[in-house]
Amino acid sequence: MTAILSITALVKTYPSGTKALNGIDLEVKRGEFVVLIGLSGSGKSTLLRCINRLVEPTSGRIVFDGTDVTAASGAELRRIRRRIGMIFQQFNLVKRVSVFGNVLAGRLGYRSGWRTIVSRPSRDDVALAFENLGRVGIVDKAYARADALSGGQQQRVGIARALMQQPELMLADEPVASLDPATSHSVMKYLEEINKKDGITVICSLHFLSLARRYGTRVIALKGGAIEFDGRPAEIDERRFKEIYGEDAVEVEIGPGRTRDEPLTEAEAVLRSPDLTPER
Amino acid sequence: MAEYFIARGLPVPPELSNDPLTRWRRWLAIALTMLVFYIGLRITSIDLSYANPEYAGRQIAQLFNWDLTLLTPQNEFETFWDTAEGKMVETIFLGLVATVFSIIVAIPLSFLGARNIMAGHPVTSTIYAAVRLLFTVIRSIDVLIVVIVFSILFGIGSAAGVIGLAFHNVGVLGKLYSEAIEGIDAGPLEAITATGATRFQVVWTAVIPQIFNPFISFTIYRFDANVRLAPILGYVGGGGIGIMLFQNIQLFHYGGAGLIIFMIVVTVAAMDFASAQVRKRLV
Repeated sequence: MTAILSITALVKTYPSGTKALNGIDLEVKRGEFVVLIGLSGSGKSTLLRCINRLVEPTSGRIVFDGTDVTAASGAELRRIRRRIGMIFQQFNLVKRVSVFGNVLAGRLGYRSGWRTIVSRPSRDDVALAFENLGRVGIVDKAYARADALSGGQQQRVGIARALMQQPELMLADEPVASLDPATSHSVMKYLEEINKKDGITVICSLHFLSLARRYGTRVIALKGGAIEFDGRPAEIDERRFKEIYGEDAVEVEIGPGRTRDEPLTEAEAVLRSPDLTPER
Repeated sequence: MAEYFIARGLPVPPELSNDPLTRWRRWLAIALTMLVFYIGLRITSIDLSYANPEYAGRQIAQLFNWDLTLLTPQNEFETFWDTAEGKMVETIFLGLVATVFSIIVAIPLSFLGARNIMAGHPVTSTIYAAVRLLFTVIRSIDVLIVVIVFSILFGIGSAAGVIGLAFHNVGVLGKLYSEAIEGIDAGPLEAITATGATRFQVVWTAVIPQIFNPFISFTIYRFDANVRLAPILGYVGGGGIGIMLFQNIQLFHYGGAGLIIFMIVVTVAAMDFASAQVRKRLV
């Protein structure tokens, strides 16, 4: 397996003086499903955004499939970006535009500026858009306005848009942090599918360790802008967890939707008991 | 109220703890305000002793004794465009043409004056600051003064009115448009940039759909305002019905002036109503 991404001594200091990344060395192999975990502010978002240069690194080197991303500029940078898909916590769809229009926007990196205005989308692009909408199961919503969809559906549009780029690497910045547990699993399953079936490498930041264990083939924990842990999901035990999240942290489970015959936990039983009146 | 917090050992909220105006300060503030007002009265020397209610009453009555000959051509050389209603139509189009000219200039400038589009590079940031300063300077010159200056350049007539009004509106619309661009959701810009799109493609696909409605709304609002301003511009050499109003008042021809004022009031009220209806439907 060859490395698709290699990062050396990556440092990012924001103009405000905040040191978000403090010397990251990282190598990601083709086909991996890497999950980034860590507290808010540990540098997960900054690391992801440095990879496609949405955030300009202060120093260090990022090489994507043999091309130096940090040295690229203009047209070369855009050619690299179109091979790297990205999805976001807030979905980042253009709200007033149809689902179909949003998905087609994923193809912009392959079109010239003037053709964006003048010509209609090509037959191939339209076919690809419907193929990708079909993959995430929202063909019937193609002509609805993006903001008319639920959160989970919007994130699936986000995935379809990124797939339009026919990427080799998919970056996902907290893709399920705005979604409920059941929807989270459905979105994560689409990411798992494109990772396994299409062989697209995924780097995904997550808040819930249970999701990281379930979907990741490798977990990287960031703390204060440096790598605190890098290994298999199963290796994260109680001690490692406390190292990553701090002494006071307690792990929260985000499980699949509970089936009817499973017994309730004590806390759930209390919450559901009918004679419980909220105290003021 | 403060006792509640003190009794429980809680910090007293600053709103309760001390009154910013203590007694002597409050009296001083009142005394100063009254003094300044008194000085103002003395300087402006308002003198009502020259008022002549009887004469004024007669003239005001004249304003309602409309001279309807203004509504028809008076000799074989005059056409519809010399009548009061012809001038009114001309004035509305004067406002319309001025609005179109100002849109053409303001839209490209507004992108240069939007912080979120121009941030991130010293050169573009400087352009942003310069464009914003330009908008502020243009807006600070009253439209009447602008038209007077342009009537020196282009002579008295609709050229001075249209270009003067358009100039002023570049400042107003430019600021409104820029702020609409600054108010958009930045997320889609980030997402479209990540697909490998050029800066131009990002603006086209992620910015334009978000600013479309506010732009239409601001434009209608300014068109309405321009039609309201246009009759006055004739007074300072800007063409349209204002010139006719000016002439009638100069000739003590209050019957004509009254009719023109009535026509302006009706037109402006109608525009105001129509623009409010359209904008309500848009938002």
